[in-house]
Amino acid sequence: MAETPRSGIAQNLERIGRACVDLLEEFGYYFALILESLFWLALGRSRRQPVRLSAAAQQMVEVGIDGLPIVFILSFAIGVMLAIQGIHTLKQFGAETQVVLGIALSVTREFGPLITGILVAGRSGSALAARIGTMNVNQEIDALRVMGINPVRYLVSPVMVAMVVMLPLVTLFSDLAALLGGAVFCNLELGLSYAAYWDQSTSFITTDDILQGLSKSVVFGVIIALVGVTNGFMVSGGAEGVGKSTTRAVVLAISYIVLADMAFTYFLNK
Amino acid sequence: MNAAAAIEVEGLVTHYGSRLILDGVDFRVAQGEIMVIMGGSGSGKSTLLRHLLGLHAPTSGSIRLLGKDITRASADEMHELRTNMGVSFQGGALLSSMTVAENVMLPLREHTRLDEQTMNIVARMKLEVVNLGGFGDLRPSQLSGGMIKRAALARAIVMDPKLLFFDEPSAGLDPVVAAELDELIIKLRDSMQMTIVVVTHELDSAFKIADRITVLDRGRILLSGTVDEVRRSTNERVQDLLNRRPREEEIDADEYLRRLTGG
Amino acid sequence: MAYEVMNQNGYDVVLLTDDVDLSCSPEARKAILACLERGRDTLVDLTAVTYIDSSGVASLVEGFQTAKKKNLKFGLVGVSEAAMSVLELARLDKVFPIHASVAARVEADG
Repeated sequence: MAETPRSGIAQNLERIGRACVDLLEEFGYYFALILESLFWLALGRSRRQPVRLSAAAQQMVEVGIDGLPIVFILSFAIGVMLAIQGIHTLKQFGAETQVVLGIALSVTREFGPLITGILVAGRSGSALAARIGTMNVNQEIDALRVMGINPVRYLVSPVMVAMVVMLPLVTLFSDLAALLGGAVFCNLELGLSYAAYWDQSTSFITTDDILQGLSKSVVFGVIIALVGVTNGFMVSGGAEGVGKSTTRAVVLAISYIVLADMAFTYFLNK
Repeated sequence: MNAAAAIEVEGLVTHYGSRLILDGVDFRVAQGEIMVIMGGSGSGKSTLLRHLLGLHAPTSGSIRLLGKDITRASADEMHELRTNMGVSFQGGALLSSMTVAENVMLPLREHTRLDEQTMNIVARMKLEVVNLGGFGDLRPSQLSGGMIKRAALARAIVMDPKLLFFDEPSAGLDPVVAAELDELIIKLRDSMQMTIVVVTHELDSAFKIADRITVLDRGRILLSGTVDEVRRSTNERVQDLLNRRPREEEIDADEYLRRLTGG
Repeated sequence: MAYEVMNQNGYDVVLLTDDVDLSCSPEARKAILACLERGRDTLVDLTAVTYIDSSGVASLVEGFQTAKKKNLKFGLVGVSEAAMSVLELARLDKVFPIHASVAARVEADG
């Protein structure tokens, strides 16, 4: 095919245009995937093709339970760091004891859901992309389709349920772990008793703060599921392709989570 | 042949991106027939199979399976049809997260309301049919290549389908195991009256099992006929394929030069 | 599919008819197991069966196994050619006691 040579600007413009189209296409795909997995959740049973609860439960264990130790360690560390930084900053105003307020609010509204989202994206988002990508490369997805088993119903809907259920629960766990981290440091540094720390924290934190964190985590869960699954389905080029898609899934999921978090925080605090 | 057609393909044209893959393919498989689709790599035979399985939508043309045009079928009709067809993929495509027996049982579990015990017995029966009795509790990763193909076949026939598709049954297998699979294909047709489509590039296997052979070359059908007709064919490309001669294409000097220089 | 259970020569005879496929094999299974549950020697008559699929054959297998556990007699009679080839595929023709008719079975019992 004869191609006319183009100027550098035209080429760059074309590249940008194509990237935009690709991005738009990917978001369209995400949207369609949400609709289709909701469709199977709602109507699968009446069409005799139900979404299996056992598959969802298995995913919940993988997404939630198996990740608890690492969530605990990192959240605890975040709590300690917030306490260190808070005390350091507030010391300049002689207001160290106000640190509890800072920890309580930033953990429940921000760090709990964010840490959980990033960790689950790293653990389960990559596992998801790798699992579905490998199935794709091995023609297992084709096999499901020709057996009359819709891959979205069979593979995606259970993941979606697991993420939406587990992310808020893990986030709550992360909140508690981070608060504990803060409590331990405040106890050592300021001599603040655990009971006093707990009393102060609970009096500062409102239901709204917690709900804000939890609703974020639900969105993060959907993002992780969508990005992981989509990158798995889009794998081409054998084992190497699976590796690339897995990396891409993690990077994209974490990026989308941080961006969504920013947008969320902005609109919720306007 | 007057028997009712199980598969009828008319004017099938398909593209991959902008590249033409299949160019006006017509063919027909009678009920209870074993049809072998042959062709070298790049002939479009894998693409044809994927279209027969309803995995891709063609550019134009119709594909009728058991009387139903799958290019126009609704999701429900397609679902119904899929419970009547079995597919054994080249690499087996067994779900690696399940045991062999669970794999074989999967279509029953998803499509029927049979008693658990009945499903177990059916799955074990199918494993016996393919000589894998007692291997049900293994994982696919613990099986050899030949065993994987046989397990995939067991899964493909677990619903007693009317149509069976088999992609490269003997590729990568030692001759004895390949011959066993050929026997099995013939036995399945004879005892269950299945219509079977086999895609292969193995000549020996094709001549042994086929009622009729369709030879595909560069997206077109060269020949569709009985084993004898194919053997006697005077078509040069068919003979090249039969005698495993490398293909000789006449060279368009200008075009070739342009390809090399990219100009 | 329709079925009928008769009492003949000391056997409960389950007479299956037409197509025994996925949609009705659970019914056939229940009928066969019910006879065995009552402690009856049981024969399954396939003379009038036009087609039997794997789930139907699986029900026969389960019946035979149940009969063995309960020390009851079990067998198939009037197996058509089509049904026979399905049994042969899984080498079950060598497993089931198969006779041409109930009378032939009774004679074979001695």
